[in-house]
Amino acid sequence: MAELQLDHITKTFHDDDEGEIVAVDDVSIDIADGEFLILVGPSGCGKSTTLRMVAGLESITEGEIRLGEAVINDKRPQERDTAMVFQSYALYPHMTVRENMSFGLEESTDLSDEAIDARVTESTRMMGIEDLLDRKPAELSGGQQQRVALGRAIVREPEAFLMDEPLANLDAKLRSQMRTELQRIQEDLGVTTIYVTHDQTEAMTMGDRIAILNDGILQQVGTPLECYHEPENLFVAGFIGEPSMNFFEMRLEGDRLVDDGFEYALTEAHRESIGTTDRVVLGIRPEDIEVGVDGSGSHHYEVGIDVIEPRGDENNVHVTFEPAAADPETFVATIGGMRQATPGETITVGFPPEAIHLFDAATERTLHNRSLETIEDVEVVTQQ
Amino acid sequence: MSTFSALTDNRPDWSRIALYATLLAMIAFYLSPLESGLMTSIKTQAGFQQTSPFVPPLPGQFAIEPWIEAFGRLQSGLVNSVLFAIPATILSATIGSITAYGLTNTKWRGQALVLMVLIAGIFIPYQSVLVPLSRFWTIVDLGSLLAVIPPLADRSELIALTITHTAYGIPICTLLFRAHYKSIDSSMIEAARLDGATIATIYYRIILPLSIPMFAVALIYQFTNIWNDLLFAIVLISDNSNDVVTMSLQKLTGSMVSQYNIQMAGAFITALPTLLVYIVFGEQFAEGVAGGGT
Amino acid sequence: MDTNQSPDSDPPTETVSTDGGLPVEATESTESTLQRWRRSELVKSLPFWLPATLLVGLFVYGAIGWNFIISLTDWQGLRRVTYNPAEFDLDNYFEFFGKVAEGGLLGGPQEYWAFRNTFVLLILFTVVALIVGLLLALLVDQKIRFENSFRTVFLLPMSLSFVVTAVFWAWMYNPSSGMINEGLRLVGLGAITQNWISDPQFKLFAVIFALIWQFSGYCMVVYLAGLRAIPTDQYEAAKVDGANTLKMYWRVIIPQLRASTTSAAVVLMVFALKAFDFLFVMFGTQPGRSADILALMMYREAFAGTANWAYASAIATILFVMALGVISPYLYRQYKRGAL
Repeated sequence: MAELQLDHITKTFHDDDEGEIVAVDDVSIDIADGEFLILVGPSGCGKSTTLRMVAGLESITEGEIRLGEAVINDKRPQERDTAMVFQSYALYPHMTVRENMSFGLEESTDLSDEAIDARVTESTRMMGIEDLLDRKPAELSGGQQQRVALGRAIVREPEAFLMDEPLANLDAKLRSQMRTELQRIQEDLGVTTIYVTHDQTEAMTMGDRIAILNDGILQQVGTPLECYHEPENLFVAGFIGEPSMNFFEMRLEGDRLVDDGFEYALTEAHRESIGTTDRVVLGIRPEDIEVGVDGSGSHHYEVGIDVIEPRGDENNVHVTFEPAAADPETFVATIGGMRQATPGETITVGFPPEAIHLFDAATERTLHNRSLETIEDVEVVTQQ
Repeated sequence: MSTFSALTDNRPDWSRIALYATLLAMIAFYLSPLESGLMTSIKTQAGFQQTSPFVPPLPGQFAIEPWIEAFGRLQSGLVNSVLFAIPATILSATIGSITAYGLTNTKWRGQALVLMVLIAGIFIPYQSVLVPLSRFWTIVDLGSLLAVIPPLADRSELIALTITHTAYGIPICTLLFRAHYKSIDSSMIEAARLDGATIATIYYRIILPLSIPMFAVALIYQFTNIWNDLLFAIVLISDNSNDVVTMSLQKLTGSMVSQYNIQMAGAFITALPTLLVYIVFGEQFAEGVAGGGT
Repeated sequence: MDTNQSPDSDPPTETVSTDGGLPVEATESTESTLQRWRRSELVKSLPFWLPATLLVGLFVYGAIGWNFIISLTDWQGLRRVTYNPAEFDLDNYFEFFGKVAEGGLLGGPQEYWAFRNTFVLLILFTVVALIVGLLLALLVDQKIRFENSFRTVFLLPMSLSFVVTAVFWAWMYNPSSGMINEGLRLVGLGAITQNWISDPQFKLFAVIFALIWQFSGYCMVVYLAGLRAIPTDQYEAAKVDGANTLKMYWRVIIPQLRASTTSAAVVLMVFALKAFDFLFVMFGTQPGRSADILALMMYREAFAGTANWAYASAIATILFVMALGVISPYLYRQYKRGAL
């Protein structure tokens, strides 16, 4: 078990046509012993490259990676005491499950055949695949192959697990099942884990903390709820959450934000956080927008309904300030699945002052995050 | 794609009938040289002169002698061909596989260039190396180098032919294997590296077992090519006792100008090994043929 | 290394998609540790590819270079060859092209005919073999029964030695009892029977016809692979768009077979340049003006008694340059497309 530290690591590729390309730019993350860290970002953001640098599959242009006390930059992959799980599973097709799992122990340890066998048996039991030991990968279902791939990593008893979108090839149902199982195994083993994904749900539900990367630059590291409610910049605010946060780019005029479509009266706290910034992005999550309320206050607007996306448990209502326009700019509000609305109708929506986020339009940094004072605990049954 | 089967009712589907008729006519055309050759080979001299080449021998005109005669003439050529074609086939396929592996799993950009150099070797006309090749094997006198081992010294021309065919066979084998290796999931190789396997272990324990289908393709394609070659053999072999079978057949036709029955029997005997390989492993041969052109 | 990417600088505008695979177009930057690493990767792979590359380099490129040097000398007969750079000249090439330029009037030199016939063979053989191969592929691709058997028969000639097929076709073309003339007489076309491989008018075409018989199966295989790579959706889309079968093939399917055509054409053309075995077995080293080609002429000059080594080498170099003209644009395009 060990702490994993990425210390100012940078990866530069050289391309004949475009010159230097910085894939990972000065990323620093400290991952505590036994922590489950999710590395998330859009495709091409450098998250896989970061993981591959930790594994030793890519060289490190600058910076240091430490596992425990040791710097592992110059260690060969097999000496790093990490185990990786690939999206494609990367099982050896000509070997049985047993052979697949013992291959790494045979190649990189001096363990006796009996000891290897014992370890393989133990981890297959943990993964619930002990019946499959003599099958070959082609005879297994996707979910079973996934388990073998995980088992192959577990059997190595590494200091850290590196997982590169390991659930991406599973169907939705199996994926949510494996999500829980993976979390349980990681908790049981207590092995430090980096988990790369682009999946919102995995990012929010699986890890202790999320690290969000964009264009090779680390945007924020924090618990899922911190990243959701207290994003450090516009990118994180827009990336985390589905459907995305609505953004309105506005001008500051006195104590109001003004846009072509509407005006927003700022509270004192808002006004203070803005300071002298004159171009501000107002952000509000779709579920924070009040729909169909009677309010006629300064934070309520009449809007036209453009499109409705029913999702069963809730409905996404696309609304616009300019219903008459040919190609109107819309934003999204979420309402409960049992509430109905019809496109073309006009309704009132409210942007509660405590729910809005404010960003500097130029630097994209957060000026003000929503207040969390309204968080309430679910009532628990008090036992006597 | 039911292009020609649009009509599925009871009326005869004329386009379908025309399709099969065309195909059968083509089959007749493609097989006619073989059929007439086969029929001629089992006729007496009088038989093939008096009857049409494609009809079976009339009673009394059937003969097995042409085959016996031809086999006697080609016997030593067959043995020599086996002696050089099999080692050359195995060597070029094995070396091709190893070379392709070395050129697939590196991030080294120069590999594309090395590969181009190798692939261009597939396409060069052998005429442009014939004179130097004959000079080379005169200077590197294998016969006297191997004088201490008489059985090998007597066959030194065949050894030179083996080495030559191996060298010119490596490019196509490398190309075939590399196409296969490029289709192998690269994360599997990375997984093996993380598992602690060296580059040699990865070849031996992962790549080689996965190459067996491609070995079938390369071996079959190379065997056919090498067995069928005449040009290198007539340039490198001067001792009659080392004649390979294509040379023997060519000499046979030259010495038995009008004995077409013996000529045809000889052609079949010469072709028999490759024909058998083709009939059994047609799919692999087709794959090799198609891969050789890309 | 100096880095101009300070932690707070703007995101770089270029990004490279590095997820889920090796960065293919991008290689390591010029940093020292990286170089060490890259070099070790290269060094580790060397034992695998270097021996074979050296062997091929020696036998292919070494030999081609040597051949070129010989072509600059005037080596002939039983004399030993002397490599004296002071005596190197291009006389053999001048002689060859001088004779080609004389043309075919009043018979003309053999060089003219060999050169001309090589081009006739190259073009006619390639074009017709491609067309026949395409037709075979289209016929076989109609979801027919026994598809495998049909394919096997069409490709069968490719598995035979040219020595064998030349023997078969010599008999096929036999004027008195050969299959071709017998067949013509059988269908009442006895009037057009010919002495196919003796008559200078038909000799070359008889050879080309037999070679097409041998190679069209190869073209079929290449085209079939191309056809199978076209998604069935496109056939259905063309149907829905109202195209009839002929139009669908002409406008939708065949244009997509360009890559197959190119690769098959390269193989056929290169073969046409080196075609030797078939003509040699059929006609020996003296096929006469009407069927002589450069590949055969080269062999004759060097190995059939006259021993004009230097002159033969010059012809060999010309053949090599012609082959290079065929393959280098092809290989360059493959390289640019990243297909290697």
